[in-house]
Amino acid sequence: MEKKSLWKRITGSREALLALILILLFIIVTGFNSSFLTPSSLQQLIKNNAVTMVMALGMLCVMLVGGIDISIMSTLALSGMAIGMLLKYDYISGTIVPFIIAIAIGTVCGFLVGLVVSRADVPPIIATMGFMYIYRAMGYLISNGGEWASASALGSFSDFATTKFLGLNCVIWIVIVCYVFFYWFMKWTRTGRKIYAVGSNPEAADVSGINVRNIKLLVFTIMGLLSGLGGALQVGIYASAMPNMQKGGEMDVIAACVIGGVSMSGGRGTVIGALLGSLILATIVKALPLVGIGSLAQNTFKGVLILVVVVVNIILQRISDRNALKGREM
Amino acid sequence: MAGKSGRSINNVPENPVKKMIFSWEGILVLLLIAINIFCSIFSEFYNISSLLRQMPVYLAEVFLMLGMAFILVMGEIDISVGSIVCLSATLACLVSNAGVPFPAVFLIALLVGTCCGIANALILTNFQELPPMIVTLSTQIIFRGIAEIVLGSGGSVSVTNTDGFRAIAGKVGQVPYILFLVLILAVIFAVILGKSTFGRSVYAIGTNRLTAYYSGINVQRVRFIIYTVMGTLCGLCAMFLISNSYGANTTTGENFEMDAIAMAVFGGIMSTGGKGNIAGGMISAIIIVCLRVGLGQRNVNAQVILLIIGLLLICTVGLPNLIKNARQSLKKS
Amino acid sequence: MSECILELKGITKIFPGVKALNNVQFQLLPGEVHALMGENGAGKSTFIKVITGVHKAEEGEMFLDGQKVDFKGPKDVQEAGIAAVYQHPTSYPHLTVAENIFMGHEIVKNHMIQWNAMYAEANKLLENLDADFDARAEMGTLSVAQQQMVEIAKAMSTNARIIILDEPTASLTRSESEKLYKLVDHLKEDGVSIIFISHRFEDMYRLASRVTVFRDSQYIGTYPVDGITNEDLIKAMVGREITTMYPKPEVEIGREMLRVEHLSRVGYFKDVSFSVRAGEILGMTGLVGAGRTEVVEAVCGITHAEEGKVYLEDEELHIRKPADAMEKGIILLPEDRQKEGLIMSWGLGRNVTLPTMGKYAKHGLNDNKKEREVSRDLLESVDTKAVDIFQPASSLSGGNQQKVVVAKALGQEMKVVIMDEPTKGVDVGAKAEMYAIMGELAKQGYAIILISSEMPEILGMADRIVVMCNGRKTGELMRDEATQEIILDLSMEKASRKGAD
Repeated sequence: MEKKSLWKRITGSREALLALILILLFIIVTGFNSSFLTPSSLQQLIKNNAVTMVMALGMLCVMLVGGIDISIMSTLALSGMAIGMLLKYDYISGTIVPFIIAIAIGTVCGFLVGLVVSRADVPPIIATMGFMYIYRAMGYLISNGGEWASASALGSFSDFATTKFLGLNCVIWIVIVCYVFFYWFMKWTRTGRKIYAVGSNPEAADVSGINVRNIKLLVFTIMGLLSGLGGALQVGIYASAMPNMQKGGEMDVIAACVIGGVSMSGGRGTVIGALLGSLILATIVKALPLVGIGSLAQNTFKGVLILVVVVVNIILQRISDRNALKGREM
Repeated sequence: MAGKSGRSINNVPENPVKKMIFSWEGILVLLLIAINIFCSIFSEFYNISSLLRQMPVYLAEVFLMLGMAFILVMGEIDISVGSIVCLSATLACLVSNAGVPFPAVFLIALLVGTCCGIANALILTNFQELPPMIVTLSTQIIFRGIAEIVLGSGGSVSVTNTDGFRAIAGKVGQVPYILFLVLILAVIFAVILGKSTFGRSVYAIGTNRLTAYYSGINVQRVRFIIYTVMGTLCGLCAMFLISNSYGANTTTGENFEMDAIAMAVFGGIMSTGGKGNIAGGMISAIIIVCLRVGLGQRNVNAQVILLIIGLLLICTVGLPNLIKNARQSLKKS
Repeated sequence: MSECILELKGITKIFPGVKALNNVQFQLLPGEVHALMGENGAGKSTFIKVITGVHKAEEGEMFLDGQKVDFKGPKDVQEAGIAAVYQHPTSYPHLTVAENIFMGHEIVKNHMIQWNAMYAEANKLLENLDADFDARAEMGTLSVAQQQMVEIAKAMSTNARIIILDEPTASLTRSESEKLYKLVDHLKEDGVSIIFISHRFEDMYRLASRVTVFRDSQYIGTYPVDGITNEDLIKAMVGREITTMYPKPEVEIGREMLRVEHLSRVGYFKDVSFSVRAGEILGMTGLVGAGRTEVVEAVCGITHAEEGKVYLEDEELHIRKPADAMEKGIILLPEDRQKEGLIMSWGLGRNVTLPTMGKYAKHGLNDNKKEREVSRDLLESVDTKAVDIFQPASSLSGGNQQKVVVAKALGQEMKVVIMDEPTKGVDVGAKAEMYAIMGELAKQGYAIILISSEMPEILGMADRIVVMCNGRKTGELMRDEATQEIILDLSMEKASRKGAD
């Protein structure tokens, strides 16, 4: 019995297991490259993956209610491109205003997706597949058919990505603020818990008076909001805006969530899990060249990683179900 | 048998012609005519011969619709098809350039597609708990990723010996071979889905998987066959794509999954399973092909066409539900 | 009747094709435990859902404390102090016990959920109920009995004045039931009024002061529990003398058809052996969750047993999938008509020929004309009340749906027919027809296995009765030695022993 409870404690707390894996990865990568574990290198890691990390929070919400959103990077491109073009043609300037505009555009995009999913009952995969092309096409259209907004065109907007505040890069502060807010939101507010409730058992949620449709609308709107934020971050960090940015990047976000233990069928997943998942993914991607896997093979590797994680999850679930059955007295 | 009351039950079906006129397929035919009128007004070059000349490149995707129809009727989805097309096209180009004779190249393309389909099928049938969406989402990046690795840093390949590809892009009079092939396959697939026991079991699985299983249908075998055939169709699509562009690159076949799903869904094949038929899918596919040719002739941006197809997809799935929901809430109040 | 805490009058609820409740009434006095009884499908569960606002009745009025009320949805009902504990707990498996208890009325301060306060409060409630688990446990890891306790704690946390218990003891062992009884006593002392649905007479005698009986979606009567007998109740519930219900034919029992030896499947059943002969009806009974359905599903290849052998006519079978069993002539009529038996949106004809369409097909193509003829003949042979073979199965009543399931089986080459709860949710008239069909099949020499939770049905129809409890076969009785008491005792044998240690 004691052995079982120990096993249960490790597999039961997914976060502990993930943290362990992350630490192991850190150790291994440091073995290959001793400069990896320096503060500046870690800051760089987070900064380079800030977009994925922030958007993983939105994907967490969407996946918690059993949905998926593959339109996010198109929303990112649309909102990023919008501020890029506005900055380029000097309609706006500074940092705050573009951020607000990008977030607003993203929120509207997400709200529309949410409406289609929650009010017209379109399966999330089909709705977001449609919006993936719609928003991406709109991004192209507002770019006058493929114009870029380069660093010089952006003016002072992208400065935030290189300035430090209290010894940390502003981008990292944004990531931290997002994670702290969502940690509080998901764990301590009724709305956050309603998202879990809807994902865990929609019928029961309906019976206990939770408006399931509105919760679905909310999660896709949150996802859109964070995609808009991601758009502004992307433009700032890479000091350029182009209509095809982050194409295919939604897989990174989904991968981060899946690795972080967010269940595809809803109800299970935490903010800490999303954080650890995206950090693990980022570290692995950084480590790949060190073990001789080139950048060309990265996508394949990510795909295999997602597949392995979901399959291993199923196998573990089967084993634990079986053990539970064996434990049944007869 | 016991308690027989002699009650008789009617078993004569109603007139099929009457049914056909008032069906979604009937509306689609009207729409097809409307689209053709629109296109000929929109573009001065739009006529039968220009349509036949320019349609092959778009027709290749119709192969995918045929397979996708089965998958959707089964209540599932495969979003890896575009990547399978990419991988088969890439490998076909490479083996062709290595001097392999054309018929073998053709077979290899089909084989690569089939193997990808089998990979999907193996994962899905062995781990039935996994939603097809996540599995094909990850194989989507894996298959395209393999193509990326094979293509190397250049990211594209052109065929050096184009003879064979030119041959399959040939025509009988003005009609391209591919149109014949699409129509023949459509008829075969329509018969299988609509008239055969296999097709009936696909509908059964898509409507109520558990009842299908309890009724002795080998659900996993049916799924296996369908995902495998989907792969083969991707290989076929790849060959005809090369016959048009004489090469492949890392973006070959991108967004094909959406096109295929949009064609099928617009043709009345419900994404929730159990509804629709190949005829509807084919009419809607031809509508989309005509639209693309017409818009393409006036140099409408490819992105705009994607936007239109995206909207079409969302509206065809969403609008009926929206109307139904609105009606229900009206009834309640 | 102004002293009633809850009164319902003239409630009618219509589902597509069925009148689930027909002009039903009900009165609950303050502080009483009121049993609601009736056969499966009598409308009890629908009635509960009408009270709790899950379903909206087409007609009828509801009075709370003598005031007419018109609730919009479940939430209004909860706020009015009515809480329900369902047979299958409607919980959130991924969330903690405390969250399940407080869902919808969390303890909130400054818009923050007070977790510590919630855990403390939840543990206090659980302690009151004498629970053996912590409020921080994940709901999905608890047993059904424990989950039910959480549901009761949830009802108490809302300070409900009326608590509805929907078959709470159905999946509990005897010692767990005993605990529940104490809990109900406890609630009663606190002045809570309780509506108690159960099909166990034992529960009713132990707890209730009055009992209301429903039959065929109608109100039959309300009786004081003191002085009522089993016979009175059964008569009220069934509506006719049992003997006329069960036209058990005298059939010469032939040779052994199916023999199952030491069949085991981890976690579901262990070491189950039985056999059935041609012309014989073998009854299999036990409480819900005893493993009866699981055993026959393993025999039919729907699931797989790890150990044990299955013989048909003395030949060992290796069944891997349902089609194998069907080919050998072992036909299962599954318990859940709507999910396992029929495709509800399909026409009757297609449903009937679903397992056999390959038989009529030529070169893999369906022979629709032949199928239409065959399905019509089969549907007529079981006297299905239908207009044509194209109407969807969902348009039929439960009894006629079950006849379609039978017709579906009749189209196949049968040797052994396994009927799993064939009369569940079926009205009395259709039940009698079902028994007639069963008798007819036995006369024709088929071996029949009848799984049923309804005691009179088992006693009335079966030649031999296998009783299961908690995954094991606990006894086998011949028709003339079986009584309700013996079967009940065998069904709970292990549980009571466990209660004794």
